[in-house]
Amino acid sequence: MDTPAATPASRTFNVPATASAADGAQTLIEIDSFDFYYGAKQALFDINLRLADKRVTAFIGPSGCGKSTLLRCLNRMNDLIDGTSVKRGNVKIRGIDIYGRDVDSIELRKRVGMVFQKSNPFPKSIYENITYGLRIQGVKSKARLDEVVEKSLRGAALWDEVKDRLHESGLGLSGGQQQRLCIARTIAVEPEVILMDEPCSALDPIATAKVEELIHELKKQFTIIIVTHSMQQAARCSDQTAFFYMGKLVEFGETRDIFMNPKNPQTEAYVSGRFG
Amino acid sequence: MPPDHTAAADNTGTPSPIFAIQKARTRFFGLTFDETIRVFFGGNAFVAVIVLALITFFLFREGSQFFGQNRDSLRTYRLAGLEYVDIIRQQEEDHTALTRYLFDIRLKAVVKLTEEGVDAAEAKRRLAKFDDYAERYGDTIVPVRGLVSELTEVATDIKTRYNENEDYKVARQQFLASGMKAEAEAIVVKNLDFSREILAITGTFPAYEQINTEYAEALKAAIAELPVLPVPELQPRLERFRELNREYLATFPTRTELLKNWNNNAPVGWSESFTQFIFGTRWLTASFWQDWYGIIPLFVGSLMISAIALFIAVPLGVGAAIYVNQIATPQEQKLIKPAIEFISAIPSVVLGFFGIAVLGQALRALSQWEALSWVPGFPYSERLNALTAGCLLALIAVPTIFTLAEDAINNVPRAFKEASFALGASRMQTIVRIIVPAALSGIVSAVLLGLGRVMGETMVVLLCAGNRIAIPDFTAGITAFVQPVHTMTGIIAQEMGEVVRGGIHYRALFVVGLVLFFIALLLNFLAQKIVRKYRISIG
Ligand SMILES: Nc1ncnc2c1ncn2[C@@H]1O[C@H](COP(=O)(O)OP(=O)(O)O)[C@@H](O)[C@H]1O
Ligand SMILES: [Mg+2]
Repeated sequence: MDTPAATPASRTFNVPATASAADGAQTLIEIDSFDFYYGAKQALFDINLRLADKRVTAFIGPSGCGKSTLLRCLNRMNDLIDGTSVKRGNVKIRGIDIYGRDVDSIELRKRVGMVFQKSNPFPKSIYENITYGLRIQGVKSKARLDEVVEKSLRGAALWDEVKDRLHESGLGLSGGQQQRLCIARTIAVEPEVILMDEPCSALDPIATAKVEELIHELKKQFTIIIVTHSMQQAARCSDQTAFFYMGKLVEFGETRDIFMNPKNPQTEAYVSGRFG
Repeated sequence: MPPDHTAAADNTGTPSPIFAIQKARTRFFGLTFDETIRVFFGGNAFVAVIVLALITFFLFREGSQFFGQNRDSLRTYRLAGLEYVDIIRQQEEDHTALTRYLFDIRLKAVVKLTEEGVDAAEAKRRLAKFDDYAERYGDTIVPVRGLVSELTEVATDIKTRYNENEDYKVARQQFLASGMKAEAEAIVVKNLDFSREILAITGTFPAYEQINTEYAEALKAAIAELPVLPVPELQPRLERFRELNREYLATFPTRTELLKNWNNNAPVGWSESFTQFIFGTRWLTASFWQDWYGIIPLFVGSLMISAIALFIAVPLGVGAAIYVNQIATPQEQKLIKPAIEFISAIPSVVLGFFGIAVLGQALRALSQWEALSWVPGFPYSERLNALTAGCLLALIAVPTIFTLAEDAINNVPRAFKEASFALGASRMQTIVRIIVPAALSGIVSAVLLGLGRVMGETMVVLLCAGNRIAIPDFTAGITAFVQPVHTMTGIIAQEMGEVVRGGIHYRALFVVGLVLFFIALLLNFLAQKIVRKYRISIG
């Protein structure tokens, strides 16, 4: 991608030394001088970011700029890809370095859940999909599982639609319902953070609206980080927004400020739709 | 539209040359170039279908006449009275089995005594009473045995004369057909009157009744007094022996009834010819008495070897597939995959050699190893048996199962795996709870195709299965798996070269081939069906 015309000296981004959450909300995630590589290819450059608890943060930026990569670094999903490495910096959640030696990535993922771009329910029943996370933790009690299924489905605003067919395949649902099922499955294990990687990109506008509404609800309980391609979505759902470009964090701030009053000319160019 | 165009079309009937859309004129055998290419590729594609149809047709043509010939054979068996003799012979054989039971008890007694430190001579002395009893018991059958051997001769004679006569008839026909009248006249055909000939056999019925009554009396007397064993623990077995004898005696009236009502002219139906093949427990050829073509011993042999092979190959193949696809590092993958796939490139005859020279020997040595004597069936003495063949066939099935199972696992969408990890599942949990279930139908069909591969394998079983045509003795339970067996594929390979073309034996082998063909067809069909279902379920 070409650099936007608005910023001829595009290499000299004005990255804030430490982008931080405004108005004193408690910081949950701290990312410091973070460099990430796919093999020899560097995908993230010196990321510094502070994300607040119980807030919705949107990651925006042109495709290939590293939004998904950073998101997947937050629950170490990138460990599954051969050859990835963190060469510098660290990510702390509640002050604990998640790339530390004594961190169990499995425990981490129980605390930091993830919803994917393409809905991916297991080829199992709706009930089994939701209880999967608990079952692998060894929960056997039927009563407890039933309770969690209902609570999670209600939490994902899906209960009324599927309560009569809990034991039918999750693959039989519509696209929007499948995505909400995946959200329900994620909240069933009660994580602190939910990562969403373009959760609505495969959904129609009505299903998208439902998911966005859901995000508003979930915000009360969870810290949410959402990657999105849609500027409107970022503007509608998020409290804060981070704009990335070519693996670097360009600007981070209150969503209102990013959209109405961007400091960086590249952010300005991107949010006004001049490239991306 | 320009006026000259209309004029041209009207005048000559050909469209304007400017708008040339006709097909090209070049033709080969009346086909355009495109059509020729289509025929060429289509033809190639249909060759497979045609070949399959030809094979089916050929197998059916050669095999179908078997049932007619088998029916004829069974008819002669009845007409010439062989069946009658066999009914009495059965009685004799049952007695032999009981005698063997007695000897078995004696053997156990000797073992027991030896364990107690009694020497051979002393043991013999202590068992003298028992031996005396056993001998008397064994002798009770003598009159029946005499009758059977007498009748055997008579029946054989009738059958031989009948067969000779049939041969004459054929020869005469052939002479007549080629116009050699004089030679044809020289052959005297004397048709056998079975209803008269049979009297030489059925006429002995009163004598049989006489002998049988005496025999029954002798038996009753024998079991009235049971021998006393010097080993009290074995006494229950003697009680059992008496019980068996009572059961045996109870069959006498029905047998007598059967003989009395027996009729050599009773028709032999198609179903009889059919059941004799499908459910027949004997495969007995080139016998002086009667040939039997029962597929069961061969089928059981094939099944047993396949079961052993799958028992070993399924865990190995599926386990390796899971490991290679989900756990192994790229370097390991590069080593394991080609290695397993190379196994399928080893000629099966080489594997057979390996089985005879190394594996059979090694397994037997292993079975005789003290520490393994708890394994059922160990130790054993036959070097070539179902186990040896099964182990080698496992080697043949592993690449098939591995490759197809790995494919199935590989087809499980990556998204399932990611979702599972994102919920905090470990690698093992993901494999066991998500990946394997999602690939299960693919794995099952891989196993089915592996089974097909094993069922059809010939060389290894021919060389290593021991080739004994008998249903393994399952009374001893699982130990049957170290007995030598014969298989459907093995029998065809072994006997096809020696049989008379067009004869009943030749045709029987074709029907065995037909059975194999259908088993293969069925397995493939099932595998395909399962895979298709699996594609739908994953979506
Ligand atoms: N698995 C991977 N292996 C190698 N490079 C990757 C991989 N995934 C992403 N990348 C590269 O990392 C960069 C950032 O990708 P990504 O985070 O997916 O971008 P975004 O989500 O913002 O569109 C891209 O240049 C992409 O090519
Ligand atoms: Mg992305």
